[in-house]
Amino acid sequence: MIDRIALVAARELRAERRQPDGVVAAVTFIAVLVLLESLVVGPQIARDADVASALFWLALAFATILATMRSFDRELEDDALEGLVALPGGRDALFGGKVLSLAVVLVLVAAIGGLLSLVLLDLPVALPLHLLVVVLLGVVALPPIVVVDVVLALRLRARAALVPILALPVLVPQLVAATRGTSAALTGDALGALSWAGLLFAFAVVYTVVGLTIVPAAIE
Amino acid sequence: MILRAVSVAVGPGLTLVRGPNGSGKTTLLRALAGLVPLARGDRHVFGDVLYIGHRPMLLRGLTARENLEFFARFRGGDTRGIDGALRAWGVGEVMDRPVERLSAGERRRAALARVETERVPLLLMDEPFADLDDAGVNRLRQSIAHAREDGRTIVVATHAHPELDELARARIAIDYGAATAA
Repeated sequence: MIDRIALVAARELRAERRQPDGVVAAVTFIAVLVLLESLVVGPQIARDADVASALFWLALAFATILATMRSFDRELEDDALEGLVALPGGRDALFGGKVLSLAVVLVLVAAIGGLLSLVLLDLPVALPLHLLVVVLLGVVALPPIVVVDVVLALRLRARAALVPILALPVLVPQLVAATRGTSAALTGDALGALSWAGLLFAFAVVYTVVGLTIVPAAIE
Repeated sequence: MILRAVSVAVGPGLTLVRGPNGSGKTTLLRALAGLVPLARGDRHVFGDVLYIGHRPMLLRGLTARENLEFFARFRGGDTRGIDGALRAWGVGEVMDRPVERLSAGERRRAALARVETERVPLLLMDEPFADLDDAGVNRLRQSIAHAREDGRTIVVATHAHPELDELARARIAIDYGAATAA
């Protein structure tokens, strides 16, 4: 099973490398948001650790939705998704492969968005290692639930509108944890950062288990 | 389309599923492939299934060769015959191009080369002649004949192409959800 998940993820990343629509859309979105942030709220407020963290994670949540939808749109062209699902074990490998490949894409997006935020907003980072842990766990926790939502809305014409509506309420606890954890790492609260990181890890595990259970049945 | 009270058993050799547009041929094949849930009844398939739908099912962004390698590796099979199969299907020159840059006929040929690269016992093909020129139709006929000689079970759904009749050991006529032996 792990081999098959790795095969699906590798296939996805290779397609994304040739047609980087998902990455480009996500990076553009997060970069524009970071650029606009200080203009809209003013440089003083924008440099506040809570505000900068909240906007970063909101942008990353929308970037996840964009990248996931683009990934499934590509699968729907020429019925490629059906080709995968028709393979023995394809249904089971689909979720894991998508989550893994999206996590890789989002690490890239988060790295670019994070660096832009740090440089443009001139944010001081009190605990860089803690920040790295929080961001990595926050990024890993995002794709499972978004992939589940996109699969549930896959055959609906209005899925572009429905997926954010379905996903965002479920993502709120994750966004709160990621925002608080990031803010704690920026301001030097080591214990706070690690506590929130632990919660993000729990979200990642729970939603991955939920996805592995639901998606094979939902894809029918 | 909903199939009602359909009972189908297919064995080695070619079985043709005939019927007008919208009669339920695709639904029957998708049910055999396990792609649609059955409200009632059972589906028993012995061995792996290769389902080729009426669209090529190749992922855009990958080349024809990469798509076929993915399918073969996923089944735990050998990838060494892929280049030869794609060349035999007349797409050797374009097999390293992303599939979105191939013509519809070339994509169809690349998809049909899976018959030779994934040696599974049950082949389900839905309107496989779509987008093929005369040479492609002949190649497909040869490919089906070889699969039949290898003892594989082949089910082809098509509303036309009587040239397959002489290869068929059984025919199923399907008409708006009801199937009969023909």
